[in-house]
Amino acid sequence: MPAYQPSVADTVRSLVTKQLNLNGYSQDLRPDDNLWSLGMTSLTCLGLMLSIEDTFEIELPEEALKEATFRSINTISAAVESSRK
Amino acid sequence: MSNPTMRSSDLVSAAGAKRPTKADVVIIGNGALGMFLADELIERQVGSVVVVGPSNRDTGASQAAGAMLGCFGETTTESLRTDAARTRFELGISAHDKWPEALRRLDEFKPSDRPLQTTTESHIILNSVGAELDTVNFAAIIDALDQYDKPWKEVDPTDIPGYNPRTESRALRAIHLPTEGAVDARGVLASLERRLRHGGAILLDQTVRRLVGSDEAVTGVELDDGHLIEAGAVVVAAGIHSESLVRTVFDVPDLMPTFPGLGFAMIAKRTGGEPFTSVVRTPNRGFACGLHVVPQGGGLEYYGATNRLVNTISSVTWMADVRFLAQYSMQQLDERAAIHEVTKWCSGNRPVTLDGFPLVGWMPPSGLYLMTGTYRDGFHCAPLLAEHVANELQGKSGIIDSIFQPMRKPVATRTMEWSIDEYVTHSLAAWFETGAQAAPQMTTSQLTDYYRNMAVQTYEQLGVDYGLGPDILWYAQGNLHGARRVARFLRTFKGDGDVAQPAGATTGTGGTR
Ligand SMILES: Cc1cc2nc3c(=O)[nH]c(=O)nc-3n(C[C@H](O)[C@H](O)[C@H](O)COP(=O)(O)OP(=O)(O)OC[C@H]3O[C@@H](n4cnc5c(N)ncnc54)[C@H](O)[C@@H]3O)c2cc1C
Repeated sequence: MPAYQPSVADTVRSLVTKQLNLNGYSQDLRPDDNLWSLGMTSLTCLGLMLSIEDTFEIELPEEALKEATFRSINTISAAVESSRK
Repeated sequence: MSNPTMRSSDLVSAAGAKRPTKADVVIIGNGALGMFLADELIERQVGSVVVVGPSNRDTGASQAAGAMLGCFGETTTESLRTDAARTRFELGISAHDKWPEALRRLDEFKPSDRPLQTTTESHIILNSVGAELDTVNFAAIIDALDQYDKPWKEVDPTDIPGYNPRTESRALRAIHLPTEGAVDARGVLASLERRLRHGGAILLDQTVRRLVGSDEAVTGVELDDGHLIEAGAVVVAAGIHSESLVRTVFDVPDLMPTFPGLGFAMIAKRTGGEPFTSVVRTPNRGFACGLHVVPQGGGLEYYGATNRLVNTISSVTWMADVRFLAQYSMQQLDERAAIHEVTKWCSGNRPVTLDGFPLVGWMPPSGLYLMTGTYRDGFHCAPLLAEHVANELQGKSGIIDSIFQPMRKPVATRTMEWSIDEYVTHSLAAWFETGAQAAPQMTTSQLTDYYRNMAVQTYEQLGVDYGLGPDILWYAQGNLHGARRVARFLRTFKGDGDVAQPAGATTGTGGTR
């Protein structure tokens, strides 16, 4: 697993929970759960991307704007970490 | 803001020098806009003019254009609904009047015996393939013709020369527009090149890598091989490449984004049957410019065109677009097109601005002028815009409305609700046009609900309060890259009362007829 600050993952988890309406199930969400299998659509992913960029005040590189980046809390957190470098 | 205008004392004798290091005006881009502007400047003898642009014009819109000189044929229900849209529409009407003189100038420079103006008339057909959008746009065309007292008459579709659709796709109505024709885009560009060389302009078969200067003043350009040209004024007319060039010196968040409207068309040699002698077209259709055939002279016909907003500028053609165009040309225009011989595949990128309006005017860095964003009728508007820009470069007053100033807030012509309705209408039109199939028990109102939900959700996710055009909404919904560009730009204006206005917004000074 990539080494990232727990706080990034926590923030990502809360954004994902809100975006996918997983309130109440948030504790069950594992860092490598596939969000696309949990009901994420291209439209909710769009909102997630914008909220991630706004919250962390980052701009994800163009090559990160693809489905795989938003697959799980882990992949999103890794993308956030590398954009912050 | 002060911008240099040309003075005769600034003249640089560049004629003869292959690679000048100085010019009064450097025009970046050798499409219709750049070339007509250069021609106008040479005609006015106002100084040395260098046009930079690759001779193959790869990815450019002008080389792929059908070059219909259409303004009434392009009318949609949106064209006259707001003052801003009317102002845009009237740009087309004014442009129309410029063509006789433009063609007169070019005639002796044409590259072959084929006439530059390939037809002077159009037929608009209404068939039942294109859904409700066709019907309302057909009515809008007639309404606009009447409002502006232009000639038209209803004709029997079977009397249109060349028109020979499959029975199930036949038109039930058609009108004849005796004053709206088309030119041979590629012939016009070649003639402009010859006339410009003759007049002493320098055409460089290269690209510009970056503008030279700062966000306060632009003083020249750097070519792809590092060669520098100092310029009194730099005009960026590089079509869809214009925005990135401007951003090499002026990279601000509130610069209007432009998106590539990738389009495909083909030129075919007729192998039999009666030829088309006029433009024959449907009204504008779902997200696109309608199906049309444009006579090219010499037995050639142009069949066009598709339009899809994409992330990356390229000259590729989608297989789906090839199928779409070939199949519907055979079904809806002439079934004999099946055995026509394709002689050229045309692919180009329309410069599409976020608010759909052109960007024409001085930029904040002095010495920098931008002309682009003409979307689907830039060829037609080019001679008019050339006159306007030449005036402004000379410090004279312009001839088009100030609404097209490039550093504007996005022009608002629709409410969110209107935007959603329009998106639904276009999506349904595209659904039926492309022959998409749903289960028999699925009704049109269910499809409507589906598209409406998509649009509502897209707005929720984007978090913007500006009513987008249906094409931009479709694009933003379809990919992360596009959505981010749309959202970022609009969020710089969010909460700014001037941007989101109700339908009937009165930006611009469109006529009051
Ligand atoms: C398929 C299709 C059909 C169309 N049909 C019609 C029609 O019927 N009627 C109509 O009026 N309009 C039509 N249009 C729209 C019209 O083509 C455009 O609005 C107009 O041509 C835009 O002209 P332009 O000069 O701004 O851009 P372009 O034609 O794109 O020209 C820009 C030029 O700049 C060059 N360039 C790019 N980057 C650089 C650089 N860095 N340095 C130097 N040069 C550079 C490019 O090679 C290109 O030649 C159509 C467009 C398409 C794609």
